[in-house]
Amino acid sequence: MQGTDGHVVAEGLTRHFGTIEAVAGIDLLMRPGEVFGFLGPNGAGKSTTVRMLTTLLRPTSGRAWVAGHDIVAEADAVRRSIGVALQDAAIDPLMTGRELLALQAVLHGIPSSASRGRGQTLLEMVGLTGAADRRVGTYSGGMRRRLDLALSLIHEPQVLFLDEPTTGLDPNSRFALWDEVRKLNRERGTTVFLTTQYMEEADTLAGRVAIIDGGRIVAEGTPEQLKAQVGVPTLQIVIGHGEDSLGAESILMRFGEPAPAPAGAVAVRLEGGASAIASVVRALDEAKVPVEALDLHMPTLDDVFQEATGRRLEGAAESQPLEQAPNPQP
Amino acid sequence: MSAAVAQYAALSRRSLLTMVRQPRAIIPPILFPLMFMALSSAAFDRTTQLPGFPESESFLQFLICATIVQGALFASIAAASDVAHDIEDGFFDRLIASPVARTSILAGRVMGSLVFGFVQAWFYLVVGSAFGLTVEGGFIGMIGVTLVAAMFAAGVASLASAFAIRTGSSEAVLGAFPLLFSLMFISGNFFPRTLMDGWFKTAATINPLTHMVEGMRAQVIGGLDLGEWLSAFSIALGFFVVGLVLATAALRGRLAAN
Amino acid sequence: MSSAEVTWGIARRSIVLISRLPSAFFPSLMMPVFLTISFAGAFSGIVDLPGFPAEKAIDWFIPMTTIQGAAFAGITTGMGVARDFESGFYDRFLVSPASRASLLGGSLLAATLRGLAPLALLTVVALVAGANLHAGAMSIVVLGIACLGIGLCAGAWAVGLAVRFKSTQITPLMQSGMFLTVFLSTAQMPIELLTGWLHGVARLNPMTNVLQLARQGFLGDVTWDTTWPGLVALTGMIVFLVGFAYRGMQRVIP
Repeated sequence: MQGTDGHVVAEGLTRHFGTIEAVAGIDLLMRPGEVFGFLGPNGAGKSTTVRMLTTLLRPTSGRAWVAGHDIVAEADAVRRSIGVALQDAAIDPLMTGRELLALQAVLHGIPSSASRGRGQTLLEMVGLTGAADRRVGTYSGGMRRRLDLALSLIHEPQVLFLDEPTTGLDPNSRFALWDEVRKLNRERGTTVFLTTQYMEEADTLAGRVAIIDGGRIVAEGTPEQLKAQVGVPTLQIVIGHGEDSLGAESILMRFGEPAPAPAGAVAVRLEGGASAIASVVRALDEAKVPVEALDLHMPTLDDVFQEATGRRLEGAAESQPLEQAPNPQP
Repeated sequence: MSAAVAQYAALSRRSLLTMVRQPRAIIPPILFPLMFMALSSAAFDRTTQLPGFPESESFLQFLICATIVQGALFASIAAASDVAHDIEDGFFDRLIASPVARTSILAGRVMGSLVFGFVQAWFYLVVGSAFGLTVEGGFIGMIGVTLVAAMFAAGVASLASAFAIRTGSSEAVLGAFPLLFSLMFISGNFFPRTLMDGWFKTAATINPLTHMVEGMRAQVIGGLDLGEWLSAFSIALGFFVVGLVLATAALRGRLAAN
Repeated sequence: MSSAEVTWGIARRSIVLISRLPSAFFPSLMMPVFLTISFAGAFSGIVDLPGFPAEKAIDWFIPMTTIQGAAFAGITTGMGVARDFESGFYDRFLVSPASRASLLGGSLLAATLRGLAPLALLTVVALVAGANLHAGAMSIVVLGIACLGIGLCAGAWAVGLAVRFKSTQITPLMQSGMFLTVFLSTAQMPIELLTGWLHGVARLNPMTNVLQLARQGFLGDVTWDTTWPGLVALTGMIVFLVGFAYRGMQRVIP
């Protein structure tokens, strides 16, 4: 099925570099208007896949269609329909933001009468109106990414490809970019294909996620589906000084299997899911067990990755307990 | 004492190996002067018949010494930019922190260039011979020429190293390259001074490189001439001494700053 | 027509960026001036050779060094393309619907126009140094035509290499290619006074005719007989080298 506007379809997409198999047969089916996340560690083949889908690289074998056009046979039509913001936002430091927008408009055949207005709107959208006439060499990393995003949208593409859009950015810039992507998708219905090595990014932004490792998709689904496949949430409690921890343990074990926990804490895998937490709290309360801290650890996409590959994602942040009670003194 | 000698030897060897292991850096400075010599000798062949042209068999015989000096110049500058690289990379700071004698840091680089300049000069003479070059001064003449080339290479290496140590930037060193190229050109090296006039001739006469190359050339086109050779060698030695003084001062400055 | 706009937009960027990087700008401007002074000064004696077509060395050398400057300007344009590939900026062009021909055309247009850069400065040098402009303003006009042509040739050569190697490490090949083309001809000596292998090579080298075209106004009158061989040579070189660049561009997606 080749699809029409806003679709991205791939069948057995493969790319070799010499003897290295960077992408080993990828199948994709993206629906128009969805945000699709491609999650994987460095070297997994994310950028190679994006480069093939955006016509910057020819596949060794397999086929793909973007917005209904074959990426090899109808490359020009693909290019008209896509916006691309690649890794490392390659931007000429000697040009100003406005000049780059104007050049981008020319490349996409937008008449100058229209490009000025569109450029201004986009600059406002990404918050760069003040810096627009300064050379890009003076921009911060976050500003460059935002400009790159604006540049990718000047011709109002149906499909937007974002290759690691927040790698190397500080948290504020990252959140700002996430907001912009969400708005784009909501307000314009732009289909977004996003690659990332950060599980929080995939989790927060993507409606569906494919996890890629070693050039292959190892898991696919909505973030919730994927996480549910891995297991149930873990509940960890820290009880008060000198209290009877055995009593707390036996209560918790009614709700599931024990889980590893740091000293002074007890943890259980909640068979009933996160909603069972109310029952646990009631049970502990009835037994008058003083609880000093309570932490619910949901499975993450990093856990999904580990299930599928036996390794952790690089740079995956461990979720921190909400509070750490001081160690009980003997 | 023998420890110091061992250090000198080790750093010279490193300097030479660095040069030899980077073909992309080394081949252009070696090949470009040869290419230029081949072209100029072919193009200017007829000019040897001009009245006033020094008594030489061919333009090649006239030009070979300038080519040798040009080669020594290019290669030594490349070596000095390695010094700047060392500073940029921090290798320099590691050397300073080590018990290696301070002067051997510099000496290694300079000795490396001296040896390279000597070998390169012989290489050019051999290539020239393959194309019909005869050196009137014979084997001794060739030794004389290559010794001057070696000393000049060491001189340029120390001058450029002084600059490299002072600026710590390999880009600055390579940027000085056009300046030295000019010095080579505004001279009697590529064409006889006897066929020049005006301000250019005056400038060429003032240029010490002119006299150095003419002293070397005498051994090639005329036969052994000790006076000419001494004139050439002392100019090369002068470069070396000035270069060493400046480089040592620059080194001291950088060490004091650390 | 948007192809023309793409071509002009890319050319414009290339030209405007020169002024924004003065550290690269001045050396390229000074190089032909320096070469003129060095060559005309060092080799001034060659005019005394019997049959030498010029009275003064400056008349003989200035057209050659101006053309060298034009070639250098073309190469610099190609180096800019190589830099754009290295930095990933060129992806921006490749991912857009702009045709490969218009992308190439933009760089080639820039190279051609930049070929004129040394002309103004060297005309001033020529006048100051007392060069003979036998044919008056026409001397400069034909030199300008040669500069445009050589700027385009050097640009096509350099861009052709840039789109194949996608790296500035190929710069020495860009430069030596052009250098050899110019110097394996009548750059230093007229064809009548060349001997041996160089005479043979220069006779076959189209650059010989281009240099003749460029020099004629400094050596005598501008005539059709000394012009048309140069135009044919330029056309041949342009067709060959632009073809080289175009073929590279067609295969730019790996």
